[in-house]
Amino acid sequence: MTVKQTLFSTTLDNGIVLLGEELPGLESVAVAFHSPAGAIHDGRGRCGLATLSGEMMLRGAGSRSSRQIVEDLEGAGVQWAQAVSMSHASFSGAMVARQLSDALPIYADILRRPLLAEDELENARQMVLQNLAGTEDDPAHRAILSLREIHYPSPWGMPSEGLSADVEGLSIGDVRDFITAHVRPRGAIIAIAGRIDWSDFVPRIEQLFGDWATGAAEAVATGPRGPRVKHVPHDSQQTHIALAWSAPPYHSDDSYEATAALAVLGGGSSSRLFSEVRERRGLCYSVSAGYQTHRDFAMAVCYSGTTAARAQETLDVMLAEIHRLPGTIQEAELERVKARAKSALVMQQESSAARAGAIARQWYHLGTVRTLAEELDRYDRLSVRSIEQWLEKHPIRDLSVVSLGREPLEVRDAVSA
Amino acid sequence: MRFLRERLDNGLEVIAEVTDGALSTSIGFFVRTGARDESDDLWGASHFLEHMVFKGTKDLSADEINRRFDWMGASANAFTSEEDTVYHAAVLPSQQHEAVDLLARMMRPALREEDFATEKLVILEEIRMYDDQPPFGADDRCRAMFFGRHPLARSVLGTVESIQSLPVETMREYHARRYSPGNIVLAATGAVDFPALVESAKRLCGNWEQRDVPDRRVPMTAPVTAHLEQIVRPTATLSYAVRMSPGPAGDDDDRFAAKLLSVVIGDDSGSRLYWAMVDSGAAEHASCHHHDFLDAGLMITQLSCDAADVDPLLSRILDVYREAATQGIGQREFSQARNKLAGRVVLEGERPRRRLFHVGLEWSHGGIYRSVADNLRIVEGLTVDDLQRVLTRWPLDGPGVTVLAGPSGAEASSQAAAPA
Repeated sequence: MTVKQTLFSTTLDNGIVLLGEELPGLESVAVAFHSPAGAIHDGRGRCGLATLSGEMMLRGAGSRSSRQIVEDLEGAGVQWAQAVSMSHASFSGAMVARQLSDALPIYADILRRPLLAEDELENARQMVLQNLAGTEDDPAHRAILSLREIHYPSPWGMPSEGLSADVEGLSIGDVRDFITAHVRPRGAIIAIAGRIDWSDFVPRIEQLFGDWATGAAEAVATGPRGPRVKHVPHDSQQTHIALAWSAPPYHSDDSYEATAALAVLGGGSSSRLFSEVRERRGLCYSVSAGYQTHRDFAMAVCYSGTTAARAQETLDVMLAEIHRLPGTIQEAELERVKARAKSALVMQQESSAARAGAIARQWYHLGTVRTLAEELDRYDRLSVRSIEQWLEKHPIRDLSVVSLGREPLEVRDAVSA
Repeated sequence: MRFLRERLDNGLEVIAEVTDGALSTSIGFFVRTGARDESDDLWGASHFLEHMVFKGTKDLSADEINRRFDWMGASANAFTSEEDTVYHAAVLPSQQHEAVDLLARMMRPALREEDFATEKLVILEEIRMYDDQPPFGADDRCRAMFFGRHPLARSVLGTVESIQSLPVETMREYHARRYSPGNIVLAATGAVDFPALVESAKRLCGNWEQRDVPDRRVPMTAPVTAHLEQIVRPTATLSYAVRMSPGPAGDDDDRFAAKLLSVVIGDDSGSRLYWAMVDSGAAEHASCHHHDFLDAGLMITQLSCDAADVDPLLSRILDVYREAATQGIGQREFSQARNKLAGRVVLEGERPRRRLFHVGLEWSHGGIYRSVADNLRIVEGLTVDDLQRVLTRWPLDGPGVTVLAGPSGAEASSQAAAPA
């Protein structure tokens, strides 16, 4: 099928990249502001600084109090969100298109004129600490956090949510310094999708952000990575198993081969892990394989949660399926992977928020936005041969393995050279 | 958007909300069966059956079903609630026929003994998975206490014991009784070829045997009495509280005002509870929302915080409820909540796969269709007086059931559950 796609991009003099996608048939518009103030800049002993800073930016900006920011956004019918990842602090909103002109100045205040008042710090800190306490009660999430910690080199494996002990010690000075250094135009992306009027949007953004003085980007040195195998003691009925190995980052052309191989392994209900672990043996409720990427490195991730008594068998079957993958991919498996990926790409065009996120992500990783036609074409060019060649060139090895539960598991075959 | 409907001779209803130019088609079979239709010896059968439907028919294996969904690029799944079992797939329009064909065949599963034994293990894993997660069973326990002997007291997943003791023959009989064509709605949204949909339904479902299905509505007779219970989870970090008090049912026009009221009082952001305890970091989460069933409605309060703070924060929540009842709702917060709800209606309305659940469930429950524009008109027509009336008819600080789950027997006083 053909989907009409209209993409726009421009760069302001101070370095802010503006991206747009017009989606016919929608009443809504979604806008997302990504500032390069991610958790990789937290610094030693200050894990959680980016998250605390992102929270503080919402607590009063320009002439608006903390409460007014929320009231003004919600009063305009904006479904807003704020998130801090390793690479960015992001502020986004989806709304009926006519509300956009009211919403943009609020975001400009948040990004450019946060008050960072000392009397808001304790509340913000408590909110961050509450979220961290809530994470302690989410065993599956904790297993993935531990996996990232042991797999990625420091600081990329640190939790963007923070560490309680570090968050306790952060000061208002830390927050102000962090925002001054990292919330800036160079490296920032503003993406908009849905019912947009690009010729109206660009001058509005220029007016709100054009005179924002730029700063220099700060490089982050990567340190060592953790041990390959880790057990996290947790008194739960289920044991959570998370595995990872290195994969090419998204900007690498063979990331398509990597994600297709992972989809064959654990991407759909006809995937190998789902069939062998859940359907045939009834070992678990959830099992999957997927792909997580930063700009310069990425990982293949497998996850399952199962009763402690059956966890060893689950891990053994997962490892067996991982090691069986090279040399055995079938044409029919690839056809299903392609169909699912292409269908998901087309359906993404129905959501303004999903598209605003997707075009910003592509720009960050690629420095360009791929058209839907280019992406569909790239999937068409995937073949069993190209995936097998890639697997041969990048053998699955040096697995990182996390178990979270009552007893550690025996990891056979995972750390093979 | 156009709404179209047709009823087959055997009672199966086929409905569609057709959106010209939509990029996808969503298809769903909405079966009027769930936990409320079970008895003690069937506890958890509706949800277990939902899993078994994916295990194959007499002509199709589970592997073939999984492969066909993936091959058509479908985003397919199912869910079971107290009142409904829904099987759904979102596909590109060119795959409409394939998706309907597969889903329709699945509605007549083989229910093979060996599949039943394997899938039982998966269900037991699912029960344990939820048992390890917040709110550690407090929600199911609270609903059980609230509804007492009413059918809505039953949890969807069942228990380890009820699942282990369920025989396959009992499930087969339950399927024959509940998956009757007159008890099922086939709904579609997005880019739908309606004549083709009806043709598929006639060919694939036309020979399903009709059986009478009794009415499921059971009025709540006993008044709710205040009750407090605790679940101890030594390894939990935070404490979790769930409180339920009566609210408007699914056939009560005040349900719309109740939903807007819950946005003012207890939405995840910008609400009275948010500013009272989430903004300051006193609580990890504090919210209030409305949920309606066919014959009952609930106002559900959820709180998570440090164990030591449960009692004072539950008291504070009741204070917030009392203030709303005595001092009323302000025009500014009312407008903010109404605009927010209207925004949600528009955004959800843009995605056929979200619309499928609204359109399918509304029709399945009450034979009602409302377009996105109808929903917007309802939201925009609400007034402060409507919200005030809801507060009077269903006092949020009135008798309610509260269940706590946390690391210790948090010293919650009876105040948390008692009426004002």
